[in-house]
Amino acid sequence: MQPIISIKNISKSYGPIKALNNVSFDVPEGSVFGVLGPNGSGKTTLLAIIMDVLQADGGSYRWFGGMAPDAARRQIGCLLETPNFYHYMSAYDNLAVSAALKQRGIDDRLRVLGIVGLTERKDSKFQSYSLGMKQRLAIGAALLDNPKVLVLDEPTNGLDPNGIAEIRELIRNLSKQGITIIIASHLLDEIEKVCTHVAILKRGNLLLTGPVNEVLISEDQIEVMGGDLHTLEPTLKAMPGVTRINKIDQVLQLTCSENVTTKQINEYCISKGIVLSHLCLRKKSLETKFMELTNK
Amino acid sequence: MFNLLQIEWLKVKKYNTFWVISVLFLILIALTNYFIISGIMNAGAKGVSVLGADYSFSSVWNKVSYITKVFSGLLSVIIIILTTNEFQFRTHRQNIIDGWKREQFFHAKWGIVIVLSFIVTLYALLQGVFFGLTGGSSFADICNNFINVLYVFILELNYFGLALTLSLFLKRSGMVIIIFLLYAYIVELLLNQFLSVKLHLTLGYYLPMDSSANLLPVSKVEPMSSMVINSAYSTQVLMFVSICWIAAYYVIGRIKMLKSDL
Repeated sequence: MQPIISIKNISKSYGPIKALNNVSFDVPEGSVFGVLGPNGSGKTTLLAIIMDVLQADGGSYRWFGGMAPDAARRQIGCLLETPNFYHYMSAYDNLAVSAALKQRGIDDRLRVLGIVGLTERKDSKFQSYSLGMKQRLAIGAALLDNPKVLVLDEPTNGLDPNGIAEIRELIRNLSKQGITIIIASHLLDEIEKVCTHVAILKRGNLLLTGPVNEVLISEDQIEVMGGDLHTLEPTLKAMPGVTRINKIDQVLQLTCSENVTTKQINEYCISKGIVLSHLCLRKKSLETKFMELTNK
Repeated sequence: MFNLLQIEWLKVKKYNTFWVISVLFLILIALTNYFIISGIMNAGAKGVSVLGADYSFSSVWNKVSYITKVFSGLLSVIIIILTTNEFQFRTHRQNIIDGWKREQFFHAKWGIVIVLSFIVTLYALLQGVFFGLTGGSSFADICNNFINVLYVFILELNYFGLALTLSLFLKRSGMVIIIFLLYAYIVELLLNQFLSVKLHLTLGYYLPMDSSANLLPVSKVEPMSSMVINSAYSTQVLMFVSICWIAAYYVIGRIKMLKSDL
């Protein structure tokens, strides 16, 4: 299947700062593609380049197998950095401008305002909106006329917890409808809940990319407490299948190969004369994996 | 171009500041023309009248075009506001994100420059016809000095084009307005004087704004001033130089828009 966008060796510098360094990856059709990275890693720069707002120093990108960039952008809904609207115009009038730029009709405005919960304020001027409402309007504009692709840069900025949950749900629903979503965020918990694919950036370099279930191989961790730690730690180190042990206060955190279970650990310790007071399986979060990758 | 202008119209039609400023200008230009053509505003003192009431088309076209020129530096502020608003609201980025080419954004702004130049010229034309006919002039004389209307159009394109180019480079409305007005009313005058008085060059006539402004010199309104003002230039050369400046604004602005980060 042809990728939605194919990015090849994109580089970008701001003076001496290398914002992006030969970044390449493909975004598969129908995926929810998370672009992750700490602040200053180049996420927004990358999205701005593929939306033609910034000029790359080198490299190239191809939307939809080589469609003209402006025609491609008209099929994409995009929220990049901040909501950008005419302050003196109402939400409704601003959406008319967005629709005209996309060469679409203006009939879809009420639907998208309903989705983002702004129907009652549709005639209020943009400058009277709160930060969260501005963000909602930007998401609404991105949804005009059911785009094939959504590019969302920090879409939950300024939203309250309810708003964040609504956006998460919206992304899930859109994804189910087959819309490809490229989302940059530092809220890893949010990404983890919705993404099928990720690309992780650090200081402009692509650390890894691919399907979440391949890239972020589940290395579950098991927490153990019990008896004398000086005895427990070497005992567990000797156990087959235990690959690493971290000591956090009085808790030992074990990284094990896939076939080791908590039952086996318990039985092993009892066989060595150690009674455990705490035994718990912890799923490794995307955040833990991300921190490991970006702190290397 | 029509599609680009349709979208620009969507942006402008709900912008109250634009309408208030525009209406103020329209009223003040018409009032000034009326005061000068009818002789209410005059030059001279102690009973000496330099201007006097003169409703002949020859005089009306001279005066209407000159007064329009006087207001054009200030009218350029409208172009500056409409362009720098895009940078302030960051909608220049959103216009591109939503599907315009950078070139289209640039051409849309030039579209406004051309349309506003046309409207200002048309307004001058309508005023001339109105004052001439209501003052009793014959319609048969309407072509006398009518060329001034064309000069107005070139002058507006020049002034508005420079305002647009400065806005594309400097982006902040306050800064652009101050720099533009300082250049228009102070810097070019100093440059002109320096070139003509110090270096004895006539190049001062061909500076960006002066090249068009000299198409409509003060002597058109106050004939006596021609006795002290040197007219060592031809209108054909001034028109050619003006058009060259307009082309230069277009090329420079286009390169800036296509090559730079937004």
